[in-house]
Parts: sequence; C-alpha cells; structure tokens
Amino acid sequence: MSKSTQRIKTIAKKEVVEFVRDWRTIVAIIIIPILMFPVLFIVFPVLLESEAAELDNKVVNIEIQSNQYPMYLIESFNESYTKLTYVNATFNDSLSLPLSDLDRVRNMEIDAILRLNYTDDIWYYSVIHLSTSESSTEAKNRIISSLITFENNITELRISEGGLEVDSTLDPLRWDGDMSKADVATEGEQAGLILSLFIPLVLAIWTFSSAIQPSIDMTAGERERGTLEALLGLPCTRNELLLGKWLGVATITGVGVLLQIVGLLFAIGYLASSDFIGIPALSIGAIILIIISIMLFAVMVVALELALAMRSHSVKEAGSILGPAIILIIFPALFTQVINLDGIESFWFGIPVINILLALRELLLDRVIIEHVAIWFASSVLYASLAAYYAAKQFKREDIVTTLS
Amino acid sequence: MAVDNILLKISSVRKNFNEVIALDNVSFDIKSGEVVGLVGSNGAGKTTLLRLMSGVYRPSSGSVTLGDDTPVHLMRDHLGVVPESTGLYSRLTAWENIRYHSRLYGIDDSVSWKRTLKFAQSLDMEENLSRYTKGFSRGMRQKTALLRALAHGPKVLLLDEPTAGLDITSARTVRSLVEQIKLEGGTVVYSTHQLFEAQQVCDRIIIIHNGNVMADGSPEQLINDNGCETLEEAYVMLTQAKARVRFEDSISDKGLTKIWNKLFRPKTPNLQLNQDVMEDE
Repeated sequence: MSKSTQRIKTIAKKEVVEFVRDWRTIVAIIIIPILMFPVLFIVFPVLLESEAAELDNKVVNIEIQSNQYPMYLIESFNESYTKLTYVNATFNDSLSLPLSDLDRVRNMEIDAILRLNYTDDIWYYSVIHLSTSESSTEAKNRIISSLITFENNITELRISEGGLEVDSTLDPLRWDGDMSKADVATEGEQAGLILSLFIPLVLAIWTFSSAIQPSIDMTAGERERGTLEALLGLPCTRNELLLGKWLGVATITGVGVLLQIVGLLFAIGYLASSDFIGIPALSIGAIILIIISIMLFAVMVVALELALAMRSHSVKEAGSILGPAIILIIFPALFTQVINLDGIESFWFGIPVINILLALRELLLDRVIIEHVAIWFASSVLYASLAAYYAAKQFKREDIVTTLS
Repeated sequence: MAVDNILLKISSVRKNFNEVIALDNVSFDIKSGEVVGLVGSNGAGKTTLLRLMSGVYRPSSGSVTLGDDTPVHLMRDHLGVVPESTGLYSRLTAWENIRYHSRLYGIDDSVSWKRTLKFAQSLDMEENLSRYTKGFSRGMRQKTALLRALAHGPKVLLLDEPTAGLDITSARTVRSLVEQIKLEGGTVVYSTHQLFEAQQVCDRIIIIHNGNVMADGSPEQLINDNGCETLEEAYVMLTQAKARVRFEDSISDKGLTKIWNKLFRPKTPNLQLNQDVMEDE
C-alpha cells in the first residue's frame, strides 16, 4: 500500500471512529434508518388498525328525527354499538340547518342526528354532526353505512316491483375471471414498480441529509475547534485530506443508507408475506448499474457538501447553508416521481440529480436502456468530477485555517 | 551546544492576504540546535510566520526552505507543530491523538509509543495517555499537543504560544521540556509575547512588529545594542509604532452579508457619555 493510500485510510478511519463514538451518531446512522420503514409500514398500520377497532367498539349516541321509521334502517343500526333515540318530527326548513340542535351536538350531548323526511317516494336526509369529534364522525359514518344499505334495499325492491331482474339491472358490466391474471407484468416487475417509487426518493434524501452532519463536523467543525491547523501542518496533501474525509463521510452515509434499505426490504418482506407486494426481479446487470449510480451520486453529494462546509467559517454558517440545500434534492426527487418513463426523452438523463433518480427508477423496473445508461453515467461522472474539483479547490484555500469564532 | 549548520531559512518572505500585508521582507536563518523565540504583540505576524514555517501557508514572495533549500511544505515530515489552539480531538484519547498524527507522518506505532512514553514522563502525562481529551485542562491539552508534535522525532519543533493560558506549574513544565529538547540538540521555534519567558528559554530572540523583523539576536545582544537595561525596555523601544489589528480581526463581510449586517448593526452610544457623566456629577 502506497504512503498516500495509507494516509487516506488513516484519515478516513479516524473520522469514522471519532464520529461513531458519539452515541447520538449511533442513533442517527443505525437505529433511526433501520427502524424508520418497519415503523412506517408495519407498526403504523397496526396502530391504525387498533385505533379503528377501538372506534368500532365505541358506543355512540344517535338521534333519529323523522316523520317515518323504516325497519330496514333501524335493524341495521342495532347490529353495532349504537344507542338510538327517536323523535317524531316534521320539517319546514332545509334538513341541513342545525337550528336548535346545534348546541346539543357541539356540547356532545348527542354524537349525531339523522334527519329523515319521506315525501313523494323520496327519502330526504341529513346528518348533523361535529367533524372535529371522533365519536361524532364515527356516528356519522355508521349512519351513512346504514343509509347505503337502506338505499340498496329500496333500489332492489323498486327494480323488482318494476318487473326487472335486480342483478343484471344494477350490474350490467362485469370483469370476467381473475383481474390480476390479466396483467402481463410479472409479480417481480410489479414489486419493482412499487419500489421505484420509494427507493430513489429514500436514497437521494437520506444520502444528502445523513452526510450533512459528518461533512460539517469534519470541515467547519475542525476549523472551528482548531484541529484543522494541526492537520494541515502534517505531510499529507490537501487532496489526501479531502479523500480521507470524503471516504469517512461516505462510509457513515453509506452505512446509514444501507441500513435504511435493509429496514425497507424487511418491511417489504413482511408485507410480501401478506401478499401485499412481491420480491422485485432484477437482472445482475441492473443490480450492478444500481450500485454504480448510487456510488456516483454519493461521490457528487458528499464532495459538494464537504466543499460547502469547508467554505463556511463556522459550524453555524455551514449548517445554515447545507440545511436549506436539501431542497435541491427534495424537489427533483419529488418531480422525478411523476415523470412518465414510457417513451421518456433522453435529455432527462443528463440533468443533475434527476438523472440518477430516473436511472434508479428505470433499473428497479429492470429496464436497461443502453442510451439512457450512457447518458446518466457520463453526466454523473462529469458532475461528480466537478463536485470533487470544487471540493479540492476549497480544501486548497489558505484561509481554511482561520476561523471567525 | 554550538551548531553552525542552517536548518531553516526564511528569505525575503512577504505574505499578503488580499490587500493586507501580514509579513513584509522577513529574512532570517535558524541553525540546528537553536531555540529561537518569536516575540511580538497580538497581530504582529508571529502566527503567520509559524504557519509559513510549517507549510500551512505559502509565501506570496520569497521562500521558506528546510535543509538543502527544499521548500518547507515538501519537508513537513521533519517538523513538529503545536498550534495555539492545540488541535486535539475530544472523542479520541491522548494516545490516539498522538498516534493519528504519527501515522500520518508514516511512523510505526511502536516507535511513536516509545518516544511518547519518554516525553510523557517529563510532562507527568503517562497516566493520562489512555484518557479521552474531552475533560482535559488547558495544561493537559498543551502537553498532549507537545507529545504529539514530538512523537515522530522532528528536526524542528514549532510552538505557537505554548504557555498561553497555562497555570504556573504547567507553564514551567512546558518550559522544562523545551530545555530538555535543547539539551538533546533539538531545534525549537517558540512564539510568545512573554518577554521573561523568551529570555529564559531562548538562545535567540526575533522581535516582530507589524509584520516586520525589528531585531534579531541573543537577549543580551538586544539589550546592549539598544542601550537598555532590560529586555522589556529594548522591546518597547523597538516597537513604538502602534500595533495593528490581527489579520483575522480585519476580515470584513462581503456581498449580501455586508448589506444585511449594515441594516441590523446596533447603534453605539457616542462619546457624549463622559461629558454627560461629568454634568451629572
């Protein structure tokens, strides 16, 4: 191993060791990334389900104000946890006006009021409710559900009274057979499509955001703490210093991104076991190109962040530049999600950030289009080189040794 | 130890930072085995000169060479540097800090460990080598930085205000170490603004003022040449011009930051204050 390589390795190793010794870093680069998607995809739905079950078992108070009481409707209510009260009523105004019931519903004396007015074969109705109350919303949902059943019953009855066959009248157009079998895309391709909506976004945003802290710490932080001056007096060149620090930030960021993908795949595996999503089918070529595209993106992003942080005179200044700079990733990342990949113009693969995100989307669909690959590869190499050149220029500045603090 | 061979040569060095001239036409030689004091007020140019000697800065004109006229930035493995800020990593132990620099100098861990232990005994630091430097006092940080600068066996040791902010005992220990290095034939450049310290430790003193070398000689020589009784008198006589501000303090805002800061600059009360107080009395 040459002396230069040895020095780069020493710098990178020290940066990683020093960074990892802060327990907050472990939380940020290991715990959060690995837990984020499982929490989002597994725990969160479980929580939602349990909340929904709790609401289903909740007893709600519903008042029915009507000039007639259809049995079908009343019976459907009795099936759930519902306390019904009945008030005979005639209506002169619009049913939707709360009038004297306003305070009763607002004060939650009653969760919801169903008003029914039967006139000339039509049931007019309204539900007086409080949308900011969960109980009231649940009561309203139960009323609507019962009303739909009630309406279906009336419709079927009237069709049959009219001498028509109910089923064919209500459902004259039908899909024949198993709908999923008509899709010629394989399960793996379908899984790739779903993943292509998540992974590029996650990779781009997480790579940029998780590199911010180490980039600042290893440049503006060193400058502010005065450790950079001691380092600049050593026999290593500024380029070796940049490469060592780049390797350090890239390792920390890489571990974070990798763990996040592990978390994502675990969550997908869990969902796959419930037939929600399959395992994506990718060729070896696509996998290699995915790795190359991520590496090129990481070279560019980390070099750019190191350069911007090194330009700053203090940690605070670096933070105020790099924090908002994440917009440069978020907007293209969101924008890329809506670009149609079928028949896409090749120039998109030459635009910075967008090129890698589109490449990832295409590759996750196992589409290896040589022209696109050539364009995103060449443009990414160019952008990564420019970012590295800019970073090298910043590291060679003499004033990086001075600090304003 | 009388040695004649020139180790470090500073020839007609000028250093500009944009319009600011930090050093102007500075020339002197440092011979092997000498302990040379760079003495000057804040902003005189001592730190800039040390950074030029350590290869952190390059001269705007002139040259700083080591040994056989090789530019100093190509010979940094022969230098040991202790900057004013010490530059220790708080999440590394003292030994890890030392080892990190030694490895970057290309020195084997066992060699740097032996050298570290030797000097750690003089500085009473053996017990602290395995401790994280986070909780270190200023004195302990300075001692660790010294050990780090010595671990690879440098030809020249560059110390930027090594006793600044230290208690009496720690400052004395640091000076003793410099004495020890001197006895072993080492070469030291010692920046300070403490005249008594320079007189005590250094064979030769270079007085720098506003970026110029005002005097260069042994303490006795400086006193006698200026017809003074003490070094302090000689220093005051040589540095009568008003000291300028430090380069770092003269950095001004640019572009949007300048406009922004101008908008929100707080108003300072004018000098009517004294008059008002007098009137109140």
